[in-house]
Parts: sequence; structure tokens; C-alpha cells
Amino acid sequence: MVTQSIQKSGLGEAVAHAAHLLPAQFPLQSFVHHNTLHAFEHLPFAEGVGEAAKLFGAQPFMAEAAFAQHLASGRIQARDLDFVLPETAGEPALFEGAPTRTGLRRLWLRHPFVPVTGPRLRWRLAEGELLEAFQPGVSEAARRAVTGDEAAPEALAALWQTLERALPDVRVSDSGAPAADGIAGRTGYAVSELVHPTLIRLCASFLDQGVAYWRMPGKEQGLLRAVRDLYTRPMGPPEPWLRRLPARLAAQAAHTPAAEATVVALLDELEIPEDDWQPFIAATLLSLRGWAGMMHQLELRPDRAPVAAPPARLMDYLAVQLSLEAEALAYLRRRGPPAPAPREDPREAQERLLYAGFVLAQHAGISAAALARGDRAARWLDALAGFDELERRRLLHLAFERRHRVEVLDGLRNHARAGRPEAPPARIRAVFCMDDREESTRRHLEEVLPEVETFGYAGFFGVPMAYEGLDDVRPTPRCPVVIDPRHLVVEEPLDGPHEHGSAVGRLRHGVAISGQTMVRGSVVSGALGLATVVPLIGRVLFPRTSERISHAVMHGVGVPATRLALERPEGAPAAADGYLHGFTVEEMTGIVQVVLQTSGLTEARGLVVFVGHGSHSLNNPHEGAYQCGAAGGGPGGPNARAFATMANHPGVRGRLAQGGLTFPEPTWFVGASHDTGDDSMIYYDEDLIPEAVQADLRILKAAMEEARRRDAHERCRRFMLAPLDLDPEGALAHAEARTADLAQPRPELGHATNAVCIIGRRSRTRGLFLDRRAFLVSYDPTRDPDRSRLAALLETVGPVGAGINLEYYFSFVDSTGYGCGTKLPHNIVGLLGVMDGHASDLRTGLPWQMVEIHEPVRLLTIVEAEPDELMAIVSARPGLARLVVNGWIQVVAWSPSTDELHVFDGGAFRPHRPETDQLPVVKASMDVYRGHREHLPPTRVTDGLAPGGGAW
Amino acid sequence: MIETLLASMAFAILALPTAAVLILAVLLWFFDDVPEAVIWAVVATAFGGATLAGLATAGGMVVHDVDEVRVPLGTWFSVGHYEFEVALVLDRLSVPFAVFGTGLVGLVGAFSQRYLHREARFARFFLLLSVLGAGVVLVVLAGSLDLIFMGWELVGLSSALLVAFFDHRPAPVRHGLRAFITYRLCDAGLLSAVVWLHHTAGTSAFVDVSGEWASIDVTHVPVVTAGLFILLATLGKSAQVPLGGWLPRAMEGPTTSSAIFYGALSIHLGPYLLLRSATLLEASPWVAGAVFTIGLLTALHGTVVGRVQSDIKSALAYASMTQVGVIFMEIALGLRFLALVHVVGHASYRSLQILRSPSLLHDQHNMERAVGSALPHPGGHLERLVPRALQPWLYRLALERGYLDAVLVHFVVGPFAQLARLLDRLERAWLSAFAGPPEGPRAQAVETSQDIEASS
Repeated sequence: MVTQSIQKSGLGEAVAHAAHLLPAQFPLQSFVHHNTLHAFEHLPFAEGVGEAAKLFGAQPFMAEAAFAQHLASGRIQARDLDFVLPETAGEPALFEGAPTRTGLRRLWLRHPFVPVTGPRLRWRLAEGELLEAFQPGVSEAARRAVTGDEAAPEALAALWQTLERALPDVRVSDSGAPAADGIAGRTGYAVSELVHPTLIRLCASFLDQGVAYWRMPGKEQGLLRAVRDLYTRPMGPPEPWLRRLPARLAAQAAHTPAAEATVVALLDELEIPEDDWQPFIAATLLSLRGWAGMMHQLELRPDRAPVAAPPARLMDYLAVQLSLEAEALAYLRRRGPPAPAPREDPREAQERLLYAGFVLAQHAGISAAALARGDRAARWLDALAGFDELERRRLLHLAFERRHRVEVLDGLRNHARAGRPEAPPARIRAVFCMDDREESTRRHLEEVLPEVETFGYAGFFGVPMAYEGLDDVRPTPRCPVVIDPRHLVVEEPLDGPHEHGSAVGRLRHGVAISGQTMVRGSVVSGALGLATVVPLIGRVLFPRTSERISHAVMHGVGVPATRLALERPEGAPAAADGYLHGFTVEEMTGIVQVVLQTSGLTEARGLVVFVGHGSHSLNNPHEGAYQCGAAGGGPGGPNARAFATMANHPGVRGRLAQGGLTFPEPTWFVGASHDTGDDSMIYYDEDLIPEAVQADLRILKAAMEEARRRDAHERCRRFMLAPLDLDPEGALAHAEARTADLAQPRPELGHATNAVCIIGRRSRTRGLFLDRRAFLVSYDPTRDPDRSRLAALLETVGPVGAGINLEYYFSFVDSTGYGCGTKLPHNIVGLLGVMDGHASDLRTGLPWQMVEIHEPVRLLTIVEAEPDELMAIVSARPGLARLVVNGWIQVVAWSPSTDELHVFDGGAFRPHRPETDQLPVVKASMDVYRGHREHLPPTRVTDGLAPGGGAW
Repeated sequence: MIETLLASMAFAILALPTAAVLILAVLLWFFDDVPEAVIWAVVATAFGGATLAGLATAGGMVVHDVDEVRVPLGTWFSVGHYEFEVALVLDRLSVPFAVFGTGLVGLVGAFSQRYLHREARFARFFLLLSVLGAGVVLVVLAGSLDLIFMGWELVGLSSALLVAFFDHRPAPVRHGLRAFITYRLCDAGLLSAVVWLHHTAGTSAFVDVSGEWASIDVTHVPVVTAGLFILLATLGKSAQVPLGGWLPRAMEGPTTSSAIFYGALSIHLGPYLLLRSATLLEASPWVAGAVFTIGLLTALHGTVVGRVQSDIKSALAYASMTQVGVIFMEIALGLRFLALVHVVGHASYRSLQILRSPSLLHDQHNMERAVGSALPHPGGHLERLVPRALQPWLYRLALERGYLDAVLVHFVVGPFAQLARLLDRLERAWLSAFAGPPEGPRAQAVETSQDIEASS
């Protein structure tokens, strides 16, 4: 018994380690972006993605074929390759007339190809053109050098033979196969084929939040006990492999009732030595990682369940999975020996090397004769040995990132050097979320209304609340996921009590339920069915109108006037629901002060608008991923409204004044909400706005009206079904139709193309077209002498930006391994997530339609600070240090006083060397993007430079 | 005069979808990269045109009070005094189905044009959708059972290929194969019916037998065997007990193809065939009883199993199966027009539901707001009716899909596959005795049977 308890502690550790590797995705309704490989952040980026690729059987970088296209299009240039793989000084040529070792490798990067081996190689040698014609892309001069006086086929055959004779004995590398090693890996029996369908059904039924009409009996006792209760009953499933399961489960219930003890007993039965528990359990859980991950997430954060979390425990899940696998294994063993595992041909490594040497000799213009002298052929091949695919893709990736980085940094530098006109004090201020999608909204607003000054801040605007809107049935967190909100803010009707729900709604719910039953379903489908021809035609052919009608029927027209219940008396305790209802004046003051000071808004006067954002769309299980990440995967409008209400509160104003922060009368804050899907705007509590700022609000609203039209127009260039010659009005209609269309898998493009994060003063980037690719965070270094605000900002913005950026990175580079593949067959299960088709693992990550135009570059984070200051901040904070030093984001220090930029590289900041002094200049943003679908470089837009901007 | 006009309309309803199939096939054969707009233009023209022709036909028949039009398409072959006639029939059964079918293919096409935008195999999808459309039109307009068989095959083929649309994963391919094999098994019933009719009556043509619409002339036909053959034919396509296990598994293709095949057209071809063969049911209470029993068992199976499904597409698949079972019962009871209305109503209701299924989270949230509380959990009904002690047992039975699949796979397909494997071994031994050990991969047939077992 002593050993038993020791074993148990080892088990806990092993399971905890494995749990760390599982996808950490919440149910889709509260989707929050995070680094897919968060568990590997302790490693340098290249090493981390390599390790993860092995463990998950996934891709670390784009494929070489994709890089080849980027080379062909000029997206990667020769100088980028020179930069990422520089020649060491005085490196000798391999032999006379040949490139250096580095030069030879760089040649491979310049002409990426994947070596052909095995039967394909033999067929190309025997029947194909491998020895008949030069590789595509070999220059004329090189061809002449290789052939000399011979015909091409003879020269190429001689080249092949010369190299073949010099082939060294190369061992097969162990890369490639996934490192996962569960029962299948150990015994060779494919237990998953039997176990997974049953296990998926059990998990889905246990975790279901309301799809099934009939709930799993006994689920309140946890998965393991519910399964035992269901499957020990007589007359069980007749599948032969399940026949002995009841006896096993009954024995477990009698002898090892606890999940831990059951798992230990099963590990013992399966003869897994204790030293191997950790990798074995990891591999076992990873075989259905989506479901295991969801089990784990709901165990950790039951508050994130869409309706009500069942008592999920990863240990229960593991016990059920191992019980089923043990049964399947025993059954398969009774049936016969396992199928032999495929092995890699030992010749493959040699063939790869030979093929590479052969192709590169053509590109380098090295003939058979030149290689035949002495040990030249051996030296040629030796220079290529070990330059494996992972390394080539890593270097190509660095080159790909470098081109983007140089383009952006040169743009910033040259924009600053071109100077900016002296700006008069702003008349209106507008604060947006730092979100990359708001970059264009802000830019267009500035172009339309030069008197506006815009700011960027994390879109929860410092308000750490749970929020319950007027018609919501439960509160949802509206703050970054690291904060567990203790304050609840409720939206209350202004004119007396509000009736929740409507008779129409209840009727529709009744009909919806009936549609899936037998008797009632016959009535519904027989009698009402014919009437659904109308919505069917409407939804397909007139999506925008249909959605409006349907919305009016469900929710009625018009919105009742409401207020937020925001103020809590000093010292009031938490309510029965566990929340503090509202904020005290002191708490509000603290929130307002931090936001205003950090973003440089301390001199606000007149009208200040805070704009939160959200997004709504149909045909989109991943709707949550389009919401405001800082607002915890919900719309951030209520946060903006709450902030504005706080900042207008006389008590808050008074306390701020005590702290030296005064606002001249009239200064008024207004909350608003921007829908990034259909580009609509809502303004809150307009009836409270004092007369003196009404005129300014009218000006702002009119300008915003034009800005959102232009924003929709700029967005539409990325939608291939939107014609390039749309006008802004037509573009807005197109955007609106998209979000209302049941058939539209791309209601908006979310954060796709995000690549840059700029933390600094807007005055330095205003008037620069950044193509909706930049998170813009307002930070004024001149008001932060000790850099403490910068440190706090980096600690929140860094992980949020990196999370979004890296999730897009991984879902793009491996859509099936890290993303959730194409949306077209997705099947929502349990209101929790999606499966591929009928029954599959729960698919995590982002769908292909969401990321397909993304460029996988690590977030280029440009911070207005001196390199040494930034270094000090980063090294003092382990979380940041992991991201920065291990290279999960790219960091640049942008000097606040000079215009110099320093790039963090290999542990130190190194000066950025500009490649050009030129920066294209246009009048308005539309002049940059009109007629283009592709990514566009930074461009100076004169209308955006206050004052004297464009008339509208 | 009006008859000629109607006949040419009928020809257009069939010819337009068929032309779409041919045009798309030729385009895809010669060009790698046909623009989406071109493909959609072909499909939209064909099915839009066919729908209009169908509406015009219906209008013409109502206005001129024509009950039935036969459209001879020619003679396939003739031997002595025997002629194999090919003809279409327009009547109160075929015209509504044709209008609805072509119209729905057009609508789902318009939907898919946006849904599948930028999908690498956009063209393949629309080709298969057109094959479905052409097949359905052929089935509903067919003037004889032979012609139905041809359309029946086209629908089955396009269905199986669309289930396996995402063939880079193993599951869709397995499930497509499973659907295909079920279809083939049941097609044997249809083929036997055709042969049986020719053998006993000399023709499989539908004739005016003074019912509501043209049907089989049963004067010289042994009705019980013919009726049971027809019933077997419908079991596969309409996913009836005990062969319906493929239906939830077929939800592997793009959502739009799931909607039109398993919510609307393909699944209702069984009821169509039964309605067309109504005389057989009328003539034999045994056949009607068998249809009723199958329908009842299917409806009960579907409704019990469907209630525990926790993914939306399986839940809708079982709901669909349940309603088709009810429609079978209606047909068996002779409620033909009710069945007709039920088919069209259910098809549009269910296909819209499946098309809407990716919006489930959005809809759930809206529904909660509209109801004004967390949604009340259903299931109380069941919990009242079933004794408490029996509930977990029934739940498990439903979760394991009524054991139907397990029984079929392990006690029917399994032994069959074992037999095939035994024969395969014998053949190898036999061959190698003469020619030495064989080279190359193992026989495909054996791996296929293993796949079916694995897909259970």
C-alpha cells in the first residue's frame, strides 16, 4: 500500500505533464486566442516548433513549395537569404570554381526543392527526365558549364554517376514519425479504430450543453461513474470487443473505485513501467487531444461552460480511455498478431543527399569532370550533409520575416523623417481598441476629420467586469482571460420592469424542439414545412432582408432605453451570486486614472469617445474568435459604456481632481460600440450628453459615418467575391450582407494578416497606411519617466498580441495539425466545439477560411523606448523574457528622441540598417489600396496628417 | 397542341440538368482551372431553366385540365414484336416533385456558390450536384421502372462520392463506401423488381390504372414478391431499419450536400418510389403491412436514438430518418396526398435546418434571449413515460444506436468478409501451386471488407 501511494503521486505528475500539452481552448462561445504552442514557450522558437512538430506530427513552418512561390514573387529576396545565412569572413571555396560551403547551402535556399527518394526516384531515373533535362530554373551559363562539349543527357548522367560513387554512408535520421507512443505504438495493434468512436460518443454525451434532447443519466457523478453505471447493466452492446467490458467495469467499481487507482491498475495490466508513465499517458491523451483538452479545460474553468459544466475530470477520462483500450487490445490479441509496421528504407537518406548534390551542381554549373578530381565529389556532398529540411525551412522563414520587417521599419523611419505638420490641439478624442482591425477605422476617421485625435487601448478599457445585458440570461466575463472578474455590471431598463423573453420566442423554441421528435415533428414538418419554403428562398437569395425580418420577429423592433447599474456603495458585500455588484467610486477612480494616464489622455477636454468592438455573424461557429480578445471573447461595447459612465461620474471627477487630474468644463465621455463585421456603430447614453458637447458629437458621428463606409470599402478589397470597383456605399452593403448570410463562411476576416504591434504615440504613426495589419497601443514615453507604465503595458499587451498572432501562425502553417481545417464539413457538438463531419476529435485552432490570407510572421512588436530600457524591463519579467528572448515575438526598440530603430536578435538589440530612404506618398488611403487584393507596404497618406486633411 | 407543348417542356426539364452534367464534365476534362463563375452560370441556367419549365408545365396542366401526359423518347431496342420503350410521364405526382427537386438544386447551388467559394474542388462539387439533379429528375419523370433505375443509380453514385468529398481523411472515404454498399445491396431489389415485372407482365411501364397517377399494372404481376422487391429498393436510399446506419455517418461532406441529399431529395426517393408503385400496396395488404412495419420501426428507432445525439448533424439525421419512417406509414395507410405534402414540407424544413446548423451557437444564444431564460431542458416527456429503472438501459441502447449497426457489421458483414478472406487464401494457395508466390499488393476486395468492419 505504501508503494501504491507513491505511485499515485507519480501518476498525478504524469497526468499534469500530459495535460499541459493538450489544446487549451475554451468552448467556442468564449473563444480566446492563445499561443497554440504555449507549452513550448520555455524553448527558443525554432526549437519549440521543431519539438512540437515531432510530438504532434505537425508542420513547424510553411512548406518549401510555399517558400519557393514567395521567392518567385519577390516576397523573399536574395539579400534576405544573404542576411539569414551569411558567409563567414575568409571562408574558402569548396574547390576551384565552386561556391563556398555556405554559398552552396544558400543556393539550395534560393532554389528550394524537396529531394525525391525511393520508388519515385527510381522511376524518374529509369523512365522520367531526371537525367535527360536540366532542372527548371537552372541558368543558361550554368547549363553550359555543366555540359561543356557534351549533350545534356550524357553530361547529366555523368554528373549523377560521379556523385553516386562518392556517396558516404549516411544513417537514417529519426525525424519524421510522431514521437507519440501509446498502446498502438507499443504493441502494433490499432486500438484507436475500435476505441475512438465509442469514446467520442461518451465524451460528447457527457459534456453536452444542450444539443441532445435526453441527458446522460448519472453525469453529475462524473464520467467514470456514469460510464460504469451505464455499461455494467445486462444485455449490453453486442460488439465482440465490448463483451468483457461490463465485467471489467464491475471489478473496477468493487476493487479500485477511484479513478487514480483504476488508472494505476490499468497501467500495471498493460505492463507500462513507471518510468514510462509520463510519455505513455501523454501519448494516450494526445490520441484524442481535442476531447481530452476540453475535459481538462472544463475541469479547470467550469465558469467558461456555455450553460453548465458537468463535473469533468481528466483522470476520469483517462481511466475510461484506458479501460476501453485494454479491452480492445485483449480482443485484438485474441484475433491474431498485429500488422507489421512500415519501416523507412535505409537507402532514403543517401538518396536524398545524392539528389540534392546532383540538382545543386546543375544550379552551380559544376560539371562531372570538375567533381571527378580528387575527393571533390565527396566534399561537395559533405557540404550538404546535415542541411536538413527543418533547417532549410527555418532559414527560409527567417528570410520571409526579414523582408516584412525591413519594409515596415523602413516605412516607420522614412515616415518620421518626412516630418509632420504642426498640429493644433485636438477638438475631439476617440479611443479605440488596440485591435488590428481598428487601424483602418482610426486612419479613415483621421483622414475625414483632421481635428480628431485617436488612441488605442486594450478594448476592455481597464474595466474588469462580468456583464449581463438586458436580455442576457447569464453574466459573461468581459475582461482578459487572466482576470477572474469579481464585479458584475447589469444593464437595467430605464422605464420600469422589463419582461424577459417573449411569447413568440417561447413558441419558436417549442417548435424547434418538436422538429426533432416523432409525433410533434410530423405535425411541424407536415403542416408548417411547406411554409419554410419562404425562409429557404429568402435566406439563400436575399440574406440581408431575411435576417432583418427574422431579427424583428424574434426580438421586436426598437431598443428600450437602459442604464448600467454601475455604482456600488462603499463597503457593500458580495451578493448571493458571488459577485460584487458594480464598482465603488474609489475603484472607478482607480480604473479611470490608469487608463487615462497610460494612454496619454490626461489632457482630454470636450468630447472623448470610447469605442469598444464586437462582431456578429451567421454560419460561424467561431463567432467568438471575432470578438474583442481583451474583453474575454465578448463584445467590448459595454466596457466602453462602463468606462465612459465612470469617467463622467462627479465623484470620480472629484477624486481625480484631488490627484491633480482635472478636466475643464465641458468634458464628456461617451461610450460606443463598433461592429467589425458589418461596420455598424452604436452610441450609448446619448440622452445624458450635455448641450455643450452635442455639436461635437454630431460632427464626430457624421465623420464616423463616412469612416465606416470607407473602412468597409478597404475591407472589401480582401473579399474575392466583392468586385474591386465597388464604391464605399456598395461596400458597406456588401459587408452587411456577409454577416447576415447563412452561406458565408467568411463573414469577416478577423485578425488575418496581423503582423505588427506598435506601442507608442499615435502622432508618430498618424498618416501612415499600415494595411490593417498593426495593433496600435497608445503609450506616451514622455509621461512615463521611470518606464513603470510601459512595463505594465507590455505585460498585458505582449501575451495578448502574441497569442493572437501565434494562433494565426500555427493554424496557417498546419491547417489540419494545429488549425481545425476547412469549415465546410464542420459539425457543432455539445455547443462546445466542432468535429469534422460525423464523429471526430474535437477540432481546435482556427478554420482555414479564417486564416487563408494570413502571412505567418511572428508579431513585429515595436516599442517606443531606448534599447537598454526595454532590455531592463524584459529581463526583469520572466513571462516577457520567455516571449522575447526565446523569440516567440520579434521586438524592436524605437527611440523616443531620435528616429533610430534597434532589432532584438540573438540576445541583444542591434541597429536596423535601412534599405531605402524612399516612401511612397498618396493623398488618401483609397489611393493606396484601390484595385489591389494583396498585402501592401507602409505608405504615407497626406490626408491623415493633421491639419488640412481631406474634405468630405 | 397543348400536349406537344407540355411534352417539350418535360423534355426540357430532363434535358437541362443532363446538359449541365455533360457541359461540366467536358469543361473539367479539358481545363484545370474553370472559373467559379462559369461553373455556377452553367448550373444556375440549367436548374433555373428546368424549374421554370416545370412551373410552366404545372400551370399548363392545371389551366388546360390535363391529368397525364406521356412523352415517348424513343425505342431503345426491339426484338421481334417486343419493343423496349423509353418514355417520361407527367402527372400529379411527377410534376410537383420535378419542380421542387430542380428548384431545390438551384437554391442549394446558389447557397453553395458562396459556401464553397475558394474550395479547391468547387467544380467537382457542382458536377456531383448536377448529377444528383439529373438523377432526381430522371427518377421522378420516368415512365417506367427501368428508367427509374437509371436515375436511382446516378443519385446513389453522387451521394457516395459527396460523402467521400474530403478524401484526404479516412473517415469520409469509409463512410462513403458504407453508403455505397448499402445502396448497391438495395439496388438489387430495384433491379429484381424490374426483371420480375418484365418477366411476368412483359413491361415495367407505368400506366393509367384509374388511380391518382400512373402506376404499375398489377393484373399479371405476383404482387407480394414485386412489392417486397420495391420495398427492399427503398430501404437503402431512405435509410430505413435495419439498413439506416449509414445516414448519420454520411454527414461528412460539405454541409450543403448533407442538406440536399439527407434532408431533402435523396432520402425522399424511397417514398416517391412507393407512391409511384401505389397499386402494389393497394393490391396486397401484406406489402402494405410490411411498409407500415418498416416505417414504424424506423420512426421509433430514429426518435429514440436521435434523442441522445449530442452533435447537431447526427441529431438532424435521425430526425430526418424518423419523419421518413412516418411518411412510409402514411403511404402504407393509403394517405397518398398527405404523404406528398409531408415529403415536400419535411424536405424544405429539414434542408433549411441543416443549412442553418453551423449557426447553432448563434441561434442558441438568440433563443435564450428570446425565451428569457436558460433554455428549459427537454426530455421530461421521456422521463415520465419510461420506468426509472429502465431509463439508463434505454439510454445506452440509444447511445449504441439500437445495436443495429453492431449486429449487422459483426454478424452479417463480418462472417461474409471472413468467407471472402477464406476464398482469397484458397485462391492464393491454388495460384501459387502453379505460378509461385504472387507479387504486388493484396487483393483490394479483402481490404475493403476490413474497412467496413473498421467503420462500425
